[in-house]
Amino acid sequence: MSDASVSFRHVWKKFRYGEVHNSLRDLIPALGRRLIRGRSPNARDLQSGDFWAVRDVSFEVRPGEAIGIIGPNGAGKSTVLKLLTRIVRPTRGGCSVHGRIGALIELSAGFHPDLTGRENVFLQGSIMGMHRREIAAKFDEIVEFAGIPDFIDTPVKRYSSGMHARLGFAIAAHLDPDVLIIDEVLAVGDAAFQQKAFARIAEMREQQVPLVVVSHQLDRIAQLCTKAILLNRGRVVHSGTPGETIAFYVKTTTSTADAIAGDSATRIESMIVDAPGEVPSGGTITVTITGSVRPHWTGTRESVVLRVASVETGTMVFSTDTALNGIALPYAGPFTLRVDLQLNVPANVYTIESLVLDTLTSREVFPGPSAQVNVGRGIAFTGSVQMNPRLRLEEGDGASTERTNASPVV
Amino acid sequence: MTPATNGSATAAAPEEGDIEARARAAVRADDSAHEVSAEDETPPTYAADLREAATELWRFREMLYQLTLRDVRIRYKQAVIGFGWALLMPALVVLSGCLVRYAMSRKSGVPLDLAGIASISVKALPWSFFVGTISFATQSLTGNLQLVSKVYFPRAVLPLAATLGQAFDALIGACVLVLVLPFLDVHLSMALLWVPLLVLLLFLLTVAASLFLSCANLFFRDVKYMVQVMLMFGIFFTPVFFDPAMMGRRLAGLIMLNPLSPLLEGLRLAVVQQHDLLVPIVASDGIVVWSPLYLAYAALWAVLGLAASAMIFHRSEFVFAEYI
Repeated sequence: MSDASVSFRHVWKKFRYGEVHNSLRDLIPALGRRLIRGRSPNARDLQSGDFWAVRDVSFEVRPGEAIGIIGPNGAGKSTVLKLLTRIVRPTRGGCSVHGRIGALIELSAGFHPDLTGRENVFLQGSIMGMHRREIAAKFDEIVEFAGIPDFIDTPVKRYSSGMHARLGFAIAAHLDPDVLIIDEVLAVGDAAFQQKAFARIAEMREQQVPLVVVSHQLDRIAQLCTKAILLNRGRVVHSGTPGETIAFYVKTTTSTADAIAGDSATRIESMIVDAPGEVPSGGTITVTITGSVRPHWTGTRESVVLRVASVETGTMVFSTDTALNGIALPYAGPFTLRVDLQLNVPANVYTIESLVLDTLTSREVFPGPSAQVNVGRGIAFTGSVQMNPRLRLEEGDGASTERTNASPVV
Repeated sequence: MTPATNGSATAAAPEEGDIEARARAAVRADDSAHEVSAEDETPPTYAADLREAATELWRFREMLYQLTLRDVRIRYKQAVIGFGWALLMPALVVLSGCLVRYAMSRKSGVPLDLAGIASISVKALPWSFFVGTISFATQSLTGNLQLVSKVYFPRAVLPLAATLGQAFDALIGACVLVLVLPFLDVHLSMALLWVPLLVLLLFLLTVAASLFLSCANLFFRDVKYMVQVMLMFGIFFTPVFFDPAMMGRRLAGLIMLNPLSPLLEGLRLAVVQQHDLLVPIVASDGIVVWSPLYLAYAALWAVLGLAASAMIFHRSEFVFAEYI
């Protein structure tokens, strides 16, 4: 047996589309079949109505390692976590986890609204596999971490949703697991609490606790993980260092638009972002959009829009369009639009989205392709806008030495 | 868990307090490596499966305790009559039983005596425990959808917690019954030594039914409606208000086929009649009122039923999250 804490060996998992038989009417035939045939011989193959949620996924995590699992919605990330935590069992292949699993997944699933915070800490702790003595020993720490000492004897139904989530996280964070599994819970509570929660997880990683992290916050994956895999439609599409995998993910999500028959005159056919892996903050990328215009009466008032939004928060940070810049699209025929963007934004992952806007009605009449770009650390700064600072420090009378920071990337 | 992993886990946090470290070690001692594979072709034996189920349940005994505590707390927390809840249901069963028996006595001329009331009281408590447990347990899995689909634990803790919560109520009822019975002319006797065995068998039978029905209701949502109907009319097929012997020879035999019947009758005979259950009773008209075989029959139901339902439950609990 390998010394890996978590190992996933060629795991396949199938699920059914639609509803499964759900009433007693179906019981007799189903039971009859099961009794006669036992487990049906081809139970491990796909039958009609089945689909593979996870196909042939293998990975290992050793103590001190942290693996990030990324991918679009429906890629199978959550199913992988359910297989790890033994909520569901693999159809084929095998997976093993050594030691106690701490799952930061459904943090307050066991909370009962009528019980007090104190009672719920013991209840939820026991659901996570802790003993009364162990919970009692950590009780003060948990309450302190959640920051709700005044409300601990109040029924949780009177808690704000933030307090609810914080208490759930605090219990899970004090579990002392041998393996930690995290599913999208890094966004719990306010900014200060998120910071604290992230620090706590990073601390567990320092203590050699192996981590499995699923998140759409790609920058968190990059910070926390030692390796990453990209899932798409149940398959491992890419695996490697977090940086590589994220870059691959960002690159491959650049897609051409589905040919949706809209009533717009302008169509965007493709969008290419010239971003080699990671762009340093302050760096420039070129977005090339190709499309065509057909003769149509709305043609003259349509505009091609480019929007940049943060993947983490979903907020738009920048938008520009042809009409705004006084650029007229052709009356008919193909066009190529090149946009140079200077990414004066903090390190993070951003979506670049193209679309056609009817400037008269402000309606989006054609959804174009979108892409993700991974902005890395160029020069160190805090805040929300990168201003390409140039710092000059003169010592003494200013004549002898002058120190400057490295010239920002332009 | 391998000693190596244990060692590294302890070494990773040497600054931990001594007591805490020991508490952790104690908790981890019964943690094991989880190895799940679809590839091993030999199906596990029944004994291995039951052992696995029992081990997992033991690891999560704290959760079972906390869930039971939750159910009990919720029931008494904001309730107007508090602990009266535990007495309400059995008291109503006794009252309706007395009413029915009074009507019968007017027709038959055999008066309803103290022993009759004591019989109904002794049988009403286990009956209301059974009914209460089944109706709670049947929905225990589907009612905790969040837990079942998102968190790992042996699923049996949910129906078991429902059973234990009801057992707590029954315990309160039993205390009151012990205080009341002397006034109904029931005295201490050696036959009372049968009571623990009968209660144990009743408990096992109830657990068996809870496991099976909660599992069935997860896969087939109309099970709970059927259970409601069966519980509503079950009292006519179970000797709570009446003794089977009142039904005549053939019907008495049929009634005793209900695995609950020998247990309730056994309780009545041992407590009210001070009868040693090893001795059969045959009435003058040839009706077998009691036979030790009845007890063996119920025990068989309880033990085999529990083994079978624990088995079905354990083998299907790994797909609960997919079907719920």
